[in-house]
Amino acid sequence: MAYMSMGEAHRRITEYLNRFSDAVSSQDGASFKSLFALSSNSPYLLSLADALNLFQDANRLIKQSDNYSQFADILVPLFRSFQNYRQNNLLEAYNAFEKTANAFIQEFRNWESAWALDALYVIVYDIRVLAEKADKELASSGKSPEKLKGAGSVLMKVFGTLAGKGSKRVGALYVTCQLFKIYFKLGTVHLCRSVIRSIETARIFDFEEFPKRDKVTYMYYTGRLEVFNENFSAADYKLSYALKYCNPQSTANIRMILKHLIPVKLSIGILPKSSLLEKYNLLEYINIVQALRRGDLRLLRRALQDHEDRFLRSGVYLVLEKLELQVYQRLVKKIYIIQKQKDPIRAHQVKLEVIVKALKWLEIDMDVDEVECIMAILIFKNLMKGYFAHKSKVVVLSKQDPFPKFNGKPVNS
Amino acid sequence: MANEGSNTETLAPPEPHMFENRHVDAGQHHPTSYAPSTTGSEAASWTVHGSTGNGIYSNPTYQYDQHPQPPAKSIQDGYNVSSIAGNSSNLGTANVTQDYNAYASYPSSSNPYGYGSMGYSGYHNNYQQQPNHTYSQPVGAYQNTGAPYQPISSFQNTGSYAGSASYSSTYYNPADYQTPGGYQNSGGYGNQATAWNNGSYSSNPYTSYTPDSSVSYSSGAATTSMQYQQQYKQWADYYNQTEVSCAPGTENLSVQSSSALGCPIPAVTSGYATPNSQPPQSYPPFWRQDSSSSAIPSFQPAAVNSGDHDSYWKHGPQSSQIQQTNPIQPNYQSPLDLKSSYDTFQDQQKTVSSQGTNLYLPPPPPLPMPLPSQQVNLSPVQSAQSPEAKRVSKLQIPTNPRIASNLTFGQPKAEKDSSSTGSAPKPVYIAVSLPKPTEKVSSNDAANSILKPGMFPKSLRGYVEKALARCKDDKQMAACQAVMKEMITKATADGTLNTRNWDMEPLFPMPDADVVNKDSSLSSAQDSLLPKYKKSPRRSKSRWEPMPEEKPVDNPMLITNDTVKYSSWVPNAKDRKGLMENKESKEDGLRNTKFSPLLQRMSNKALQRPFKKQRLTDASIVSENGDASSDSDKEQSLTAYYSAAMAFSDTPEERKRRENRSKRFDLQGHRTENNHSRKKHAGPGNLYNRRASALVLSKSFEDGASKAVEDIDWDALTVKGTCQEIEKRYLRLTSAPDPATVRPEEVLEKALVMVQNSQKNYLYKCDQLKSIRQDLTVQRIRNQLTVKVYETHARLTLEFGDLPEYNQCQSQLKTLYAEGIEGSDMEFAAYNLLCVIMHSNNNRDLVSSMASLSREAKKDEAVKHALAVRAAVTSGNYIAFFRLYKAAPNLNTCLMDLYVEKMRYKAVNCMCRSYRPTLPVSYISQVLGFSSGVINGASDERDTDALEECSEWLKAHGGSIITDNNGDTQLDTKVCSISILHTATLVSASTLCMPEPEDAVAHGDANLAVNDFLARAPL
Repeated sequence: MAYMSMGEAHRRITEYLNRFSDAVSSQDGASFKSLFALSSNSPYLLSLADALNLFQDANRLIKQSDNYSQFADILVPLFRSFQNYRQNNLLEAYNAFEKTANAFIQEFRNWESAWALDALYVIVYDIRVLAEKADKELASSGKSPEKLKGAGSVLMKVFGTLAGKGSKRVGALYVTCQLFKIYFKLGTVHLCRSVIRSIETARIFDFEEFPKRDKVTYMYYTGRLEVFNENFSAADYKLSYALKYCNPQSTANIRMILKHLIPVKLSIGILPKSSLLEKYNLLEYINIVQALRRGDLRLLRRALQDHEDRFLRSGVYLVLEKLELQVYQRLVKKIYIIQKQKDPIRAHQVKLEVIVKALKWLEIDMDVDEVECIMAILIFKNLMKGYFAHKSKVVVLSKQDPFPKFNGKPVNS
Repeated sequence: MANEGSNTETLAPPEPHMFENRHVDAGQHHPTSYAPSTTGSEAASWTVHGSTGNGIYSNPTYQYDQHPQPPAKSIQDGYNVSSIAGNSSNLGTANVTQDYNAYASYPSSSNPYGYGSMGYSGYHNNYQQQPNHTYSQPVGAYQNTGAPYQPISSFQNTGSYAGSASYSSTYYNPADYQTPGGYQNSGGYGNQATAWNNGSYSSNPYTSYTPDSSVSYSSGAATTSMQYQQQYKQWADYYNQTEVSCAPGTENLSVQSSSALGCPIPAVTSGYATPNSQPPQSYPPFWRQDSSSSAIPSFQPAAVNSGDHDSYWKHGPQSSQIQQTNPIQPNYQSPLDLKSSYDTFQDQQKTVSSQGTNLYLPPPPPLPMPLPSQQVNLSPVQSAQSPEAKRVSKLQIPTNPRIASNLTFGQPKAEKDSSSTGSAPKPVYIAVSLPKPTEKVSSNDAANSILKPGMFPKSLRGYVEKALARCKDDKQMAACQAVMKEMITKATADGTLNTRNWDMEPLFPMPDADVVNKDSSLSSAQDSLLPKYKKSPRRSKSRWEPMPEEKPVDNPMLITNDTVKYSSWVPNAKDRKGLMENKESKEDGLRNTKFSPLLQRMSNKALQRPFKKQRLTDASIVSENGDASSDSDKEQSLTAYYSAAMAFSDTPEERKRRENRSKRFDLQGHRTENNHSRKKHAGPGNLYNRRASALVLSKSFEDGASKAVEDIDWDALTVKGTCQEIEKRYLRLTSAPDPATVRPEEVLEKALVMVQNSQKNYLYKCDQLKSIRQDLTVQRIRNQLTVKVYETHARLTLEFGDLPEYNQCQSQLKTLYAEGIEGSDMEFAAYNLLCVIMHSNNNRDLVSSMASLSREAKKDEAVKHALAVRAAVTSGNYIAFFRLYKAAPNLNTCLMDLYVEKMRYKAVNCMCRSYRPTLPVSYISQVLGFSSGVINGASDERDTDALEECSEWLKAHGGSIITDNNGDTQLDTKVCSISILHTATLVSASTLCMPEPEDAVAHGDANLAVNDFLARAPL
């Protein structure tokens, strides 16, 4: 940083203040929001921060003029936040910024129109990012990271100011999405429930009126929630919606959506092309899809084991694990097909020992009882039609459509 | 803890035991007593009642019966008494509490005072049953815990109540009253106690009643025997006057008639009168009942309680009345025996009375009409207090000044004047023993009017108090009052009232007491007492408490203060007890602790609304009643008193203050509420000497209402325990811990070992462990010992299947392990997994707990097992599940146990769908873990049993079991002989069902089912 004179610093600060008050008085949302974009690292704000560090008495400047002093609650902590951010005191920066945010919310409430919505977005975003950084700092110094949680409650407040009627309502979804990000990160997803309810039950405001990007994000997160709940059809709908409207340019986002959508689709019997998996670098699914195609239980288990951490983190592990049944089904189906080729009349009777043997080939060590149990479950879950004769240890398959297709319906569980 | 100790002691003597037993099982005693008196149908109802909490009623009846046959039964009573009285005052308390449990089905009973009432407003019925059985012993600790557990459930009581009402009438033997001899023995006392309990209990529900019983009781008890009679009479008169219908009761004749139930004894009246202090609404209904049962419906629209309660109300009051009556009488004649117990009672009284008085002071809208009934009530309150006052003055002089200096609210006037009387210790609180002739009341009023705060300078008041302080007995007092009245009248007449320097005024010579009307003796003492009560709260500040005096925004607020005061009284109680018995103080403390929160709650709930909103209506009702009873003298005096109170509350300062307060209240809104609730927990802290830091904190906390609790410097407050006892009951802290009752780490270690080696049952161990945990927490000890304690407890809970408790341990362990403290974290990781899998049924939790497993963790045997179980559960693989079940390490089996039923059901469901045409039961039995053995073959008995069990289970779940053609002649449908019988087609899944669990409990937690609990864990 080049040397900056005192006068220069003073000039920059007053310029910032002027911009601030001008933006407010002209209700210029675009230029207003740039004044808060702390984490954007814009050179303008960085130099302002330098100026602030040099010129220690900025608060006096704020209080000098009525134009600024009415926003002192916002500006004073904001300046402090700038300074600390510049000096990498992230914790302090966050604390100050939270104050700014609270003051801003107060002010925002008083503004009739939603002209400052963009600035609010910036604040909402920044507070989350700052909180994450502050938490990192806290964690590295051995303290408990709790700022993100704090940011969450600030955002809840913001949501409260937006969730009512009127033009500000449009912003509610953005805040919701930021809240999702926080809650998913914190693992306190249950806190989303109230927000979701208020979004989905609001009749006065059509969901489609929200900005598209927010809708996509929202659908992505709620879709993920549905995956957790194993509510596959809803998850399918939401994630597909997100995929459909997601900006095709943002492959990272598409990949994130697919990460969750693929397991959902798999569990309702729809397998992706491997080209798709390759395109979006979702190679962890390749073996799983393979296993499903082949009825290769060993492959499935291995794939699950290999990527266990990843699947657990994204929360799809359990969904994938349930694909085992489909693999069994595939296996039995294969046996059935082979038997049919040999002896079409008796093909519908599959002996248990055959299946056990097949599994043994796959190096899966299961005894007769266990396989019998699996067969019972397959029949029970309607993956196979037929019955099991315990006495003779035979699976008797229905002659008609013994292996029903999913048709987009999840396995009945 | 003292609690435990005392309890055990009480238990030790066989007789007390019996006593307890009786309570618990009402059925035992009653049969003898009530069978004869009641008709068959009634008897039946009795038994039913007995089993449930209703035992209360039965007990009273029982005792009633006894009265008629004083000689024989008195013995029994005697031992009751002995247990109570004999075991020193402490025991007395303990017993009382127990009685409560037993008698009052209300769990709250243990805290006769606060609890019952609270329970009513909030928890109502639930308590009744639980507390009786389970908690009777642990009195202190359990009740608290118990309360939260029990959602409002059972209203069964109502029915029983009705029944009880009828009993009372039947049972009442007029003879009792006339044969005083029977009462004189300690048995009488016992009766009292019980009665008291009953009374309080019954009254509690009504909130208003509680005070009654206690007051009346106390009045009787406190005064010496000579006075009893007088009082008694007075009450009777009183009663008659107030309530015409009741009159017969005094004569005992009415007793037998159902309508009169409550009324027969004058004591009852007193009891009723007292209630005035509390929400008047409840009151009126009571009266009405007396006169005619039909009046009941009019009951309490405004009352806190819902419709259910109403029904309760109707019956309840009657029964309670009866009970009250009995207790009091015995007192009169055998006051001495009872003394020790009195103290405990007195405590209660104090609370009650303080509350009552408080209520009066603040009444916001001055009512033009004096409420006759209320006034009537006042007198009892006062009388009750007076004994108290006496004691205080004698024994606790040291404490008084403190109290006095603190006084803000009670005597605003005094404070305002910076005169010498000022805020300095007020000698005034005269202890007057009160004979209570009817006129007394009026005298009281007179005294009050003399002292009327609004009208006279404070110095005058001080003067009067001084003068009264000299009086040695009520006669003198009355005389003094008369003299003073004259003086004041004169002064008023010549205009010197306000100019004269009363502080300097020489006291007039002691008038000859005989000259003066005895009756007018009552007292300024009470007046002064009231303020005292108020003052005491200051001392009692607890850390979390807002300072009461500053807060009293409102009536409800005042009430809370009162509670606080109550707790503050405890120290007094201790002192007193010092004279009486050592232990009691502790016990008291315990009770108080519980108490105050209860009271507060009660006050919040019950008083707030009723008092404010319903006041007018109530008043009108009351006044009606009052008219009926009208004794014009009394009324006038009462009016005077009342108006005095009004004036008091209406002084400009007071008004201003109130304004401020209400402003604050507005601002704080929620805040205050919060404080309140917090206070509930904090109340008892008063017992202990607080460290200065805590005091400061509490102040600052209050000042900055927005300051969060976490701003408190916990380090400064961390307790270092000094208690050396290894065994300690768990009692939920409601205030800052007292180092003297907290065990230091070394002792805790011993305690842990003791628990681990203990042969006692789960409940005991759980209780001990909880107290250990509490001590650890309080001292902020977080080390391996902590982990060990939690692990021990967690294992114990698992063995017992107590999941809620387990979850507490588990979550603590999680954070402890996360802090890097060593322990068997793998083992518990496995438990955690199992717990999540099987019981929370939340995929997100499951995934996150799986994700949190480290690589090493996954290699651990237990964790591996848990993961395998998880896989089996998620895939529905019952074969794997039951194999794992049999091979489970550690206590994994215990957790799996809890899931076995579900798994079996799922499995059978699945089998029914998949298998055709039949499936042998033997196979099912083997596969679902009923039998361990081979499928075919063995005629092993175990396997036969298992088969039988299995088929029973299948049948219970709706499976249809048939016997196939291979059946031999041997075949018995009941015994499935393995080799031959292939069976059991469970025809269609649709018939399957989960049977209603037989031990289902209304509140959903079978662990809390009273009977079950007792059966499993007789302490």
